[in-house]
Amino acid sequence: MDGGICVEKKKICLLGAFAVGKTSLIQRFVNDRFGDKYLTTIGVDISQKLLAPFDSGNGRMCQYHLLIWDIAGMDRFDKVVESYYRGAAGALAVADLTRENTASGLTRICRNFRTVCPTAGILFIGNKADLHPLKGPVSAVLEQVAESFGGQCRVTSAKTGAGVAEAFQLLAETLEKG
Amino acid sequence: MQAALSCLLAFKRIGIIRFARDLGLVDVDAQARRMLDLPAAGVGAESLPDLFPELIGNEASVRNVLAGKRTALHLEYVNRRDRQGELRFLDLLVLAGERKNEGLLAVEDVSGKGRMLQELTQQRHELLLYRNAVHFREHLISEAILGRSPAIEKVRRMIRKISRVPSATVLLSGESGTGKNLAARVIHHSSMPAEAPFVEINCAALPDNLMEAELFGYEKGAFTNALSARAGLLQEAGNGTVLLDEIGELTVPLQAKLLSVLEERKVRRLGSNREVEIRARIIAATNRDLEREVSAGRFRQDLFYRLHVVAVRMPALREMDQDVLQIAEHLLKVFAIEFKKKSVRGFTPAAQKRLLNHSWPGNVRELRNCIERAMIFTESQRIDADELTLLASRRNPARSLEIPPEGLDLEAVERQLIEAALQRSGRNKSRAAQLLGLSRDTLRYRLKKYGMG
Ligand SMILES: Nc1nc2c(ncn2[C@@H]2O[C@H](COP(=O)(O)OP(=O)(O)OP(=O)(O)O)[C@@H](O)[C@H]2O)c(=O)[nH]1
Ligand SMILES: [Mg+2]
Repeated sequence: MDGGICVEKKKICLLGAFAVGKTSLIQRFVNDRFGDKYLTTIGVDISQKLLAPFDSGNGRMCQYHLLIWDIAGMDRFDKVVESYYRGAAGALAVADLTRENTASGLTRICRNFRTVCPTAGILFIGNKADLHPLKGPVSAVLEQVAESFGGQCRVTSAKTGAGVAEAFQLLAETLEKG
Repeated sequence: MQAALSCLLAFKRIGIIRFARDLGLVDVDAQARRMLDLPAAGVGAESLPDLFPELIGNEASVRNVLAGKRTALHLEYVNRRDRQGELRFLDLLVLAGERKNEGLLAVEDVSGKGRMLQELTQQRHELLLYRNAVHFREHLISEAILGRSPAIEKVRRMIRKISRVPSATVLLSGESGTGKNLAARVIHHSSMPAEAPFVEINCAALPDNLMEAELFGYEKGAFTNALSARAGLLQEAGNGTVLLDEIGELTVPLQAKLLSVLEERKVRRLGSNREVEIRARIIAATNRDLEREVSAGRFRQDLFYRLHVVAVRMPALREMDQDVLQIAEHLLKVFAIEFKKKSVRGFTPAAQKRLLNHSWPGNVRELRNCIERAMIFTESQRIDADELTLLASRRNPARSLEIPPEGLDLEAVERQLIEAALQRSGRNKSRAAQLLGLSRDTLRYRLKKYGMG
């Protein structure tokens, strides 16, 4: 279609402690793949994905080209990490449902992130739902952290794929337009 | 100096990219081309961020470097996959160029250093994860199976033991709604490696021949619709767990086959004579009284004995005394989060009494539904008795007691009931009296009368 779709690049970051499944969520979302083997991420790894077009109002179709930042080393916060965060329109803050401290640890990480990107939306994710037999909602701790940042909470499994595309989509919907 | 610098850069294998103020590319040197897998001439990219999306979001910082407002911008361990798919790590440093309004990006391949760091970090993380896994398993059992009554304590103790023997077959019995499925998952997650599969099948769900194909698998052409070969669930479960729910519904011929699987730990797909080894733990669950099914000839005795070796009976909620309250409080918190009603803090004393007095024929499932409904509609901070919708209570059990044609011995029945109440209450006389609808004194009197005290 001619003159139809505008494509907007949007940077989003994946935040969270080691091994919560940041890389796995991206792999599932971008390539629909999952690997059981753990290979910790060093530095920064960018993946890209074009989302389905949506009506941006006044009949104009828009499409997000997501630049998804998989970032390692959340235990430090310095100039380098700051430049990884800068310019992000949103973030997925990921906790591992089998490790409660990964949920409470998000407070510090998200606070740092917000100092660099004060208006970016954050969606909180409880990952590895497949490992948790209690099929209830996310852990109370994660819910509390989310609330303190005014963010929503979702449960995913990068392994089964449950909730993954929905989470990225939901985050995309909360990104600031323009 | 200039020549020495070039020499140093080449020696250190540092590539240089020159770019303009608008971030358009000016020049990419040979070293950088090699590192980025670019052709010898032309780059197929117009601007710096096309080449390095890592700079997106940092355009302003790059301009600040060019304007001399900032010395440098440094990005460490930027991940790249080369043509062979091998992961490489690049170090990026943005500097102001010699010429005005021109910038330099120095790229260094630090893959060696990156891999070393990767290995060290990995080891540290794996150790921490291992410690956590042990901790998680221990926690899971107490987090998932709530309550302090002797009946549920016993279940937790057994599950802990079972989780240390991942090969043992387990029989889970209990009324419907007592959480047999949850117990099976807890056994699975607390005894298996994280990646082990959990597969479940309801034995009542499929007709015999499909059930057989589903469990044991089939070869292509084994029956009319077998267009391709398929492994059965028992095999698919690998080193994980297979839950056979409603095992009491399995037909007798399939019971025989299952027994042989349990004994030989091997299956043969339909239409094949090759045997495949079965490694998965098998958990069978039922809400029937299998012993009675055996007497009635509907369940094979040999299979029953085989399954009964490790048997866990999930108690009915009414056998769990005050646990009803603990579980109700837990469910209330869960739904408070789900329904965003965190102002709801608990139950009024009247509601608690109502929860304790109900007989819960549908067990934890019924309790869950009851709390869910109350949480949807409540507008107060404490859920009150009239907000709890209960199924018709079986508080008055008269209709389940029938007088057999040959008559009965009322005193013997009474003795039995008292003994049952004592057992259920862990020999707590007040609680036993409550269960029987008697005062403590009346119970004491009858215990004396029957010489049971
Ligand atoms: N069962 C299960 N395992 C998962 C899931 N997501 C990730 N994993 C596993 O968890 C481990 C860590 O996953 P990664 O995606 O590498 O975690 P990460 O957050 O990128 O870790 P770092 O890069 O070290 O920060 C891997 O072994 C994954 O296979 C999930 O949803 N379910
Ligand atoms: Mg990673």
